[in-house]
Amino acid sequence: MKTLILGLGNPILSDDAIGIRIVQELKKVIPNADNIDFVEASIAGISILDEITGYDRLILIDSIRNRKGNAGEVYKMKMKDLNITAHLASSHGMDFVTAIELGQRVGYQIPKVIDIYAIEIENNTIFREKLSSKVETSIPKIIDTIMEENKGKF
Amino acid sequence: MKCITIDPITRLEGHGKIEIFLNDEGNVEKAYLQIPELRGFEQFCEGRAAEEMPRITPRICGVCPTAHHIASAKALDDLFKVEPTSPAKKIRELMYSAFVIEDHIFHFFFLGAPEFITGLKVPAAQRNILGVIDKVGLEIGGKVIEVRKRTRKIITLIGGKVVHPVCGLPGGVSKVLTEENRKEIKDAAEYAVEFGKFALKLFDDVVLKNKEYLDLIAGDVYKHRTYYMGLVDKNNKVNFYDGDLRVVDPDGKEFAKFNPRDYADYIEERPSVWTYVKFPYLKKIGWKGLVDGKDSGIFRVAPLARLNASDGMPTPLAQEAYEKMYDVLGGKPVHNTLAFHWARLIESLCGAERMLELAKDPEITDPNIRNIPTEIPTEGVGVVEAPRGTLIHHYKTDKRGILTDVNLIVATQHNAPAMCMSVEKAAKSLIKEGKVDDALLNMVEMAFRAYDPCHACATHSLPGQMPLEINIHNSEGKIIKTLEQS
Repeated sequence: MKTLILGLGNPILSDDAIGIRIVQELKKVIPNADNIDFVEASIAGISILDEITGYDRLILIDSIRNRKGNAGEVYKMKMKDLNITAHLASSHGMDFVTAIELGQRVGYQIPKVIDIYAIEIENNTIFREKLSSKVETSIPKIIDTIMEENKGKF
Repeated sequence: MKCITIDPITRLEGHGKIEIFLNDEGNVEKAYLQIPELRGFEQFCEGRAAEEMPRITPRICGVCPTAHHIASAKALDDLFKVEPTSPAKKIRELMYSAFVIEDHIFHFFFLGAPEFITGLKVPAAQRNILGVIDKVGLEIGGKVIEVRKRTRKIITLIGGKVVHPVCGLPGGVSKVLTEENRKEIKDAAEYAVEFGKFALKLFDDVVLKNKEYLDLIAGDVYKHRTYYMGLVDKNNKVNFYDGDLRVVDPDGKEFAKFNPRDYADYIEERPSVWTYVKFPYLKKIGWKGLVDGKDSGIFRVAPLARLNASDGMPTPLAQEAYEKMYDVLGGKPVHNTLAFHWARLIESLCGAERMLELAKDPEITDPNIRNIPTEIPTEGVGVVEAPRGTLIHHYKTDKRGILTDVNLIVATQHNAPAMCMSVEKAAKSLIKEGKVDDALLNMVEMAFRAYDPCHACATHSLPGQMPLEINIHNSEGKIIKTLEQS
């Protein structure tokens, strides 16, 4: 099974970078990565379609801001929740669900299994290269959670 | 892992937020549109080496990275006082033309067309590309995808990466094009020309032959008599990559024409207490508030503005389409905001024709792609026509080339005052004596789509398409109704 682990975010926009950071960390700890591609991308909406085509399984890491969220918390989401994370919706264009449906209609090979991990963040409005401390210190726990969830699947 | 209730924040503070204030009679007194801005970009850049800017600035925005990259490379040419070689300019313009095609086609078919092709009264959930495909057929959807794919491939081929190109350097570009590259580019350009013709024919058949749509485009909705600005070549024809900035008045007469380096002599920015966005206006006319007309310094940019500010298109098929648009809409300039969509398709065809011209130019494979800068840097300005309008990059450095001051004026900022006027006009026509017509949200959304504001430029993390909230306040300032796009 060919798997893509795709981290979304902007590396210079504070916590927005968390999806990218998590992919970098997962690359270090996943033992047998022959059938896994690790991709970091600053994209949203339909452009995600360009990245995921041709894979059997997709693991997406993105950020989210909830009204009463606790920064660093990780949530596993299903397709029906897809429109509410940071980059799966696009303020300029189309959301991910529509993109997937479009891809299917025009005959693209869309992954059959799609898992989304959304990480609660604190700040994504200020340009800086560092994450907020709460999000930074949560990284080991987030990695443990994802690895535990996917035991035997990587 | 805990089970929690997901309750995401649907907008950043101030994002796409509209405040409407009513008077004692319940009619609209004033309406304000707040567009947010990400903070700290200038400070983020200051202290860094200027030559990093073409790689940093595309990261502001996932929508028009190529525009930021090229504007930044041009600002570096000016900063280091080095003229790019002729082949380098052509390679940059070639990549930029591919980007204009891709962006315009994407906008029209994915954002603009659903309003017209699926029907104005169709529920919002069906007003998207899937609704368009249902109406016009899967084959057309496939063509849209194909032209996007081919033009993005050309951007990747020249720029290194499609999302964040890296080819632009002060004085030129980093990579020579081979004969094999040239052939591939020529094939893609030919496909794009055919697609551009097809898209205008579709617009003709589906939109212009429908009286309801034509009336909407040509009618008074969102009609604002403003000034218009855009880059023009030496013949005053539209140019996306280079030239002088030309401004025409609401009667279509030339008001100013200047080297982009002198932008600050013509354009002033005005801060406001209720939004982060600084409103640009024409310095010599002055700021008269959010009103249109010859005495108000408000100007517009983007496709229709570029066509209004020019004397025509530089390529033959686009010129034909340009003449047709002005014939149908009653001559120049056209003030109807919904005509931005039509102008967008004309520009897309122009981009394709220009791309083809450049692909056939023998100089495009010339290996002389860079002049090496030798001067001490001080200050530089770079301007391109982004799909959404004039984009200005302005850098100052110390003698080592370390940035001391950075100013960017993005297209959405130029159009922000006009967008506020469109919102107010829609509000005035749909709120009477305290009664709010449910069409308000849709009307505001249509105006937004025509301008194609680059919200992603300001805000990456926004759930939902174009989040929008409208608060209506009574004469005492209390919120009496909130409309939200679900």
